[in-house]
Amino acid sequence: MAASSVRTGRLLALAAAAAVAIAYPIPLQLGGYTYFQTVGFLVLLNAMLGVGWNVIGGWAGQFDFGPQVFLAIGAYTAVVLFIHLGLSPWLGMLAGIALAAVVCALVTYPLTRLRGHYFAIATVAIWMIAQPIGATWEFINGSRGLFVPMKPAAGALDALVTLQFAGARKGLAYYYVGLALLALTLYGAWVVERSKLGFYFRAIRDDQEGAEGIGIDSRLYKVIARSVTAAVYGAAGVLYAFWALAVFPEQVLDLNWSVLPMMATVVGGIGRLWGPVLGAVILIPISQIMSTTLGTGPLAGRGVDLIVYGLIIIVIAAVRPTGLLSLPWGRWLRLSPAPSAPASDIGSRSGDVAARSGDVGPRSGDVASRP
Amino acid sequence: MELFVQAAVNGLQMGFLYALLAVGLTIIWGLMEMINFAHGEFLMLGMFGAWWLSTTFRIDPLLAIVPLGLVMYGLGVLIYEQLMRRVQLGDPFTQIFATVGLLFLIQNSAVAVFTSDYRFVNDTLLTRLSGAKLQILGITVGVPLLIGALVALVLFLLLYLLIDRTEFGLALQATSEDREAAMLVGIRPQRMFAVAWGLGAALVAVAGAILANFFAVYPQVGLQFTVLAYAIVALGGFGSILGTLLAALLVGVVQSVTVVYLPPAFKDAFVFASYLLIGLFRPQGLFGRF
Repeated sequence: MAASSVRTGRLLALAAAAAVAIAYPIPLQLGGYTYFQTVGFLVLLNAMLGVGWNVIGGWAGQFDFGPQVFLAIGAYTAVVLFIHLGLSPWLGMLAGIALAAVVCALVTYPLTRLRGHYFAIATVAIWMIAQPIGATWEFINGSRGLFVPMKPAAGALDALVTLQFAGARKGLAYYYVGLALLALTLYGAWVVERSKLGFYFRAIRDDQEGAEGIGIDSRLYKVIARSVTAAVYGAAGVLYAFWALAVFPEQVLDLNWSVLPMMATVVGGIGRLWGPVLGAVILIPISQIMSTTLGTGPLAGRGVDLIVYGLIIIVIAAVRPTGLLSLPWGRWLRLSPAPSAPASDIGSRSGDVAARSGDVGPRSGDVASRP
Repeated sequence: MELFVQAAVNGLQMGFLYALLAVGLTIIWGLMEMINFAHGEFLMLGMFGAWWLSTTFRIDPLLAIVPLGLVMYGLGVLIYEQLMRRVQLGDPFTQIFATVGLLFLIQNSAVAVFTSDYRFVNDTLLTRLSGAKLQILGITVGVPLLIGALVALVLFLLLYLLIDRTEFGLALQATSEDREAAMLVGIRPQRMFAVAWGLGAALVAVAGAILANFFAVYPQVGLQFTVLAYAIVALGGFGSILGTLLAALLVGVVQSVTVVYLPPAFKDAFVFASYLLIGLFRPQGLFGRF
């Protein structure tokens, strides 16, 4: 009885969230506030990246500061194919996803010898090496970047195929394309989370030696986890490139492509399916709200929004590192009547992050525990 | 060949500055096994402090290292006591979140106070000497960088003596080796961690004050040095103070030699390629003791 009411509650919450997400841009379109559709698009894009980052960072437990490399690969692949072959961005997206995942697998396999902080720095190293390549490679026009040529669409269907939308409808169209891709990503993540793969990822995160002891090849599954992340980043890169109508190396390789989704994931709840979505909905509009409230005042454009981000993430880390979704919402909202019932959260199957903390002090000593 | 030697000598001098800026991270990350992604922000604060003291009170950055070091020591201890101590006991990743949050907070507070404009210190001892050169064995050595490197080297050696030769340093190393055993012999680990954070922040801020003579001062300056410092600490063997010095010299030389033969954009890429190679094939670092 209690279990089914929780289930009903979750389905109701999901339906309500979907209804709000679908209805959100329509009054804005009618009222002419298309700017807020763009805000919505950025929320969806970062939520999608967060869901992708969560696979390597939240489930497999390997901190990744370098997935923007795969966003760049996706963006460049689709744009190059569009410029040279006139290939539809959707086919370009498939190619971008495939290339991002393959490059990720090749690059990541050696890195999986490293663990913890050392793996995190290695992902930074790959990103540092990718930057000068992007800035000097003549085939992709170096730091001058590539522009997506505008091809007037013959109709609505043609516009959807080439992802080129005219004037006032662009914000609306990209919002829904972003929503569709986010829904697809969430569905994919949900399937992975419940599959054997998802359990392998979490087993490696919780106890790598234990996982290896029961026959899980930890290096192989870390590579698979990061390639899933890379695939999501590749797809999002294509979406971003065709939205921005250009690709520049310093833009697609910006550190914020990993830091913002990471923050969104942490704020919402790391290792939880809906964590990144909740985090993105909270964090991303802060920039826009700040710039509206500060106006042209003395603090406008002075990074006040990022100060707020910093404070939020510090408070979350110090007070509730498992994120907002880990709070006992079910009990608070009276969805589960028994107060002793474990906190139930949408889509969460993983344990409490704090509960999997290992030893407390410095882990110095033997080489084996090092990378 | 002459070009190569010249580049290598310039790189060595930069290397001494890199050693000072990385050694704070060696203590926090290498010895105490805590992560700090806000390391470069302490450097940035040191640079802004030097700029502010030099433009407002005409205090030369080479003298400003004393007050800056003391203030930043206090800030480091404060950050440990108020924030890092809480996240230290939880999942290791909470340290990453907390210090990334610190990075955003400190960097953008600097933007709010100073704007993102580039600032330069001028009329200091080292900037007045700019252009002064020494000829040693046919190699040209710029005097300002040489003085900066020597100051950094002296401070570095003092720190080495502090960590390796004093009772306090031994207590710090003992805490790093085995926290419980250190407690049994009467060392308070929390205090050692606080001191490590204080020292880490002070050292990198002092390095920043010296670097302010050579680099533009702006709020986002920290990240490029943070990533370099991470590569240096890893290359040097986590926790090895002298290893940090040798790795920093290596990084300085790799950077300046790369620039001779390849576009400047690649100078950090080669540093990180060496980090990866060494991380993969010699995880204890070039000069690690374990």
